[in-house]
Amino acid sequence: MDQPLSFEDGLVELLPRLRRFANALTRSPADADDLVQMAIERALRSQCQWQPGTRLDSWVYRIMRNLWIDTVRSRSRKETFEAPPEEAEQVGEDPSGTLEASADLKRVMGAMQQLPEEQREVVALILIEGFGYKEVSEMLDLPIGTVSSRLVRGRTALLTMVGDR
Amino acid sequence: MSPDEKFFAWLDGELSGAEAAEMEAKVAADPELGHLAEQHRALGGKLKSVFDQVAEAPVPKHLIETVRPPAQVIDFQAAKNAREPRRSWPAAAQWAAMAATLVLGFFAGTFTPRYDNAPVKVQDGAIYASASLNQALSSELASAPASGPVRIGLTYRDQTGAICRTFTEAKSSGLACRNGAGWQLRGLFPAPEGQADAYRMAAGMDSNLAALVDSSIAGDPFDPAQEKAARRQGWK
Repeated sequence: MDQPLSFEDGLVELLPRLRRFANALTRSPADADDLVQMAIERALRSQCQWQPGTRLDSWVYRIMRNLWIDTVRSRSRKETFEAPPEEAEQVGEDPSGTLEASADLKRVMGAMQQLPEEQREVVALILIEGFGYKEVSEMLDLPIGTVSSRLVRGRTALLTMVGDR
Repeated sequence: MSPDEKFFAWLDGELSGAEAAEMEAKVAADPELGHLAEQHRALGGKLKSVFDQVAEAPVPKHLIETVRPPAQVIDFQAAKNAREPRRSWPAAAQWAAMAATLVLGFFAGTFTPRYDNAPVKVQDGAIYASASLNQALSSELASAPASGPVRIGLTYRDQTGAICRTFTEAKSSGLACRNGAGWQLRGLFPAPEGQADAYRMAAGMDSNLAALVDSSIAGDPFDPAQEKAARRQGWK
C-alpha cells in the first residue's frame, strides 16, 4: 500500500536540492551545509506551520532563503559588504571535505558571489532550481516584475563573467 | 515588462500563445538576438550542470540524521538530549530499587509494587508495564522527542510475532513485549554503578539488554515508518 511521504521523508528527499541552492547562495560548500543544517532544523521546529498538500519544497526554500538573508544582514553589520581579497581565494574551498568542488564549480560560485544578494537568489531559484517566475515571486513576496528585472540584471552580469563568448 | 525582460521571459518559457510566437519570430529575424538567446541558453545549461554536481554528490550523514535520527535508540537519544532539557522522573528512586532487586526475577509472582503509580504491575504471575511506562511504550516513538522520562529505543517483532520495545529511563533500561492489551516485561536492568544519569549512557545499550534483544529478535528493528505504522495498528 502506498503511503504519502512523511514530512521527514519529504525533507530528506529535498536535501540534495537544498544543498544545491545553498551552494548557489553562499561562499563555500561548508557554509552551504551549515545553512542547510539551520534550514532543516528550523523546518522541523516549524513543522506545524506547513500545510500538508502544499509544496514542501517552496516552503523549505523560503525558510532557507530567509535564514540566509538574516545571516547576510548580521554579517554586513560586522564587516564590509564585499569579502576581503584574501577571502576571495577561499570561494568554493571546503575545509571539511564535505564536497570537493570542481574548478568549474569554484569559478561559477565565485561569479555568483559577485552578484548582489537580491539578484543571486533569483538567478539561483529560476536558472538553477528551475522554479517559475510566479513561484519565485510568491516565495520571495516580490512582484513578478521585480523578479523578472532582477533576473535580467543578474544573468546579464553572469554572462560577462562566465559565459563562453 | 521591458523588451529585455520579455525576451528573457520567452527564453525561460514564461510567455505563451501570441506573445511567445511574436518573440520567437522576432528572435528568428534578428541574428543578434538569436546569438544572445544562444549565449544565455548556454549560460543556463552551464549553471545547471555545474550546480548539479552538488545535488548529485552524496548528502552528508549529519544532515540526513538531523531529519531522520537513526533507529538505534542510543545515538538518537544523545542527539535529542542535546536539544531538549531533561525531565526528571518523579519517582526515580522506585526504578533504582526495582531495577536492583528485580533483575530477571519476574515470574515468581510474589512481587507487589507498593506504589500506586509504580511503573510495573503484577498480573497473572507476570509483570506488566503500568502508569508512565505503559503510557510511553504505547504512545512514544523513538523517532519523536519523548514527552516523559521514558525513552523508547528499538522496536521489533520477536520470534513469536509479538512487538517488543526497549526503553530507558534515568536509572535503568529494559525490554517489554506486547501481550494482549499490555506490555509484559521481559527484562529490566539497572544503570551501571556511578552512572547517575542514564540518559548519558549514550555509549551503548546495556549488554544484558542487547543480549536479550539479540536472542529474541526476528528480522530487523523497525524503521521510523514501521514504528509509526505499528502504533497506528495498536501494536498488533
